[in-house]
Amino acid sequence: MTKQPANKKRHSFKHQFAFLVVSIALGFLFAYAYNMAKTKDTTMTETNSSDFEKKEQLREGLIAQQERNKELEEEKLLLQQKIKDYEQDFSGSKEGYKDLVKQADDLRLLLGKIPGRGYGVTVTLQDAEYDPKSVNPNDYIVHESHVFKVLNELKISGAQAIAINGHRLKANSYIKCNGPVITIDDDQFPAPFVIEAVGDPKVLSAGLTLAGGVYDQLIDDNIIVTIDGSKQLVMPAVQGNS
Amino acid sequence: MWLPLLGLLLGISLGLLTDVQIPTIYESYLSIAVLAALDTLFGGIRAQLQQVYDDYVFVTGFFFNIALAAGLAFLGVHLGVDLYLAAVFAFGVRLFQNIAIIRRILLSKWNDKKAKQSEKAV
Repeated sequence: MTKQPANKKRHSFKHQFAFLVVSIALGFLFAYAYNMAKTKDTTMTETNSSDFEKKEQLREGLIAQQERNKELEEEKLLLQQKIKDYEQDFSGSKEGYKDLVKQADDLRLLLGKIPGRGYGVTVTLQDAEYDPKSVNPNDYIVHESHVFKVLNELKISGAQAIAINGHRLKANSYIKCNGPVITIDDDQFPAPFVIEAVGDPKVLSAGLTLAGGVYDQLIDDNIIVTIDGSKQLVMPAVQGNS
Repeated sequence: MWLPLLGLLLGISLGLLTDVQIPTIYESYLSIAVLAALDTLFGGIRAQLQQVYDDYVFVTGFFFNIALAAGLAFLGVHLGVDLYLAAVFAFGVRLFQNIAIIRRILLSKWNDKKAKQSEKAV
C-alpha cells in the first residue's frame, strides 16, 4: 500500500469498489448467519410445543368421547331393561305370550344384549410351568384351539352366555391366535383365560369332564385346567353396537 | 475509508432483513463460509501490519477461500468424508495464528513507542 503510491492512486477507484464488495459480503454473511442461528432456535421450540399442545388436545377429545360412549352405553342398558319390564307386564296379562317373551329373553342372552346372570361354571386355562426339558414352548402354552374346544363343549352342553376374561361373546364373535395372546373381537387377551359360562353347572361340568373329552385332552396338552361349578356368575352385556 | 464501513453496515442490514430460510443440510456451508471470511479478514489485517498487504490478494482470497471451503464441504458430504471438519480445523488454526501475530506486532510497536518516548524524555 505504501510502497507504490502512484500505482495505488491509479487503481484507487477499483480498490475502493473491491473493498465495498468485500465489506458488503462480510456484513451480509455475518448478519445472515446470526439470523439463521436465532430463528432456528425459536422455530424448533415453537413446533415442539405446538405439536405437544395439539396431541394433548386430541387426547382430551378422545377421552371425552369415550366417556360419552360409556354414558350412552349405560343409558342403552337402562332402556333395554325397561323394554324387558314392559314385556314382563305384558306376559302377566296374557298367558299365551309368556313363551314368546321367554324366547326373546333367551335370544337376547344369546346375542349378549343383556347382562347374563345365574349359576354356571368357570373354566380357567393356564399355561404350564416353564419346562426346561421341552424345546418348544408351544408344547405347554394355551392356544386358541384349546379355548375353542372348551367353548364348543360348553355350547353343546347348553351354555346360555359365555364370557372370556370378562369379554362377553356374541353370536358372531371371533377368536384368533395372535402370537402369545389371543384376539377376541379386536381385543387382545393373555393367558390365563377365564371362561365363564351361564347354564346348568352340573350338565356343563359333566360335559367337560367326559372320559376322553375336553378336560382330558387339555391335560394331555400340559395345560393347567380348573373347573369351578359353584359360583353365581354375572357377566356384562356386549360392549358397542352389533 | 468511509466506503468499506458503509458497505459493512449495508451488508449487515441486508443480512438481517433477508428472510430466506436455507435447508438444515446447507447450514454447515454457511458456518464454514463465515469462518473463511473471518480467516481472510484477520489475514488481511496481519498482512497490513507486516506491510506485505496487497489488495488483489486480499479481495480474491476473501471470495476464493469462501468458495473453496464450501466446495470442500460439498465434496466431503458426497464422498462420505468429513472434509468439513478439515476446513474448520485449518481455518480455526490459521485464525488463531493470525490473531497471535497481530497481537505480537501491536505489542512490539507499543514497546517501541514507549522506548522512543523515554529516550526523548531523557
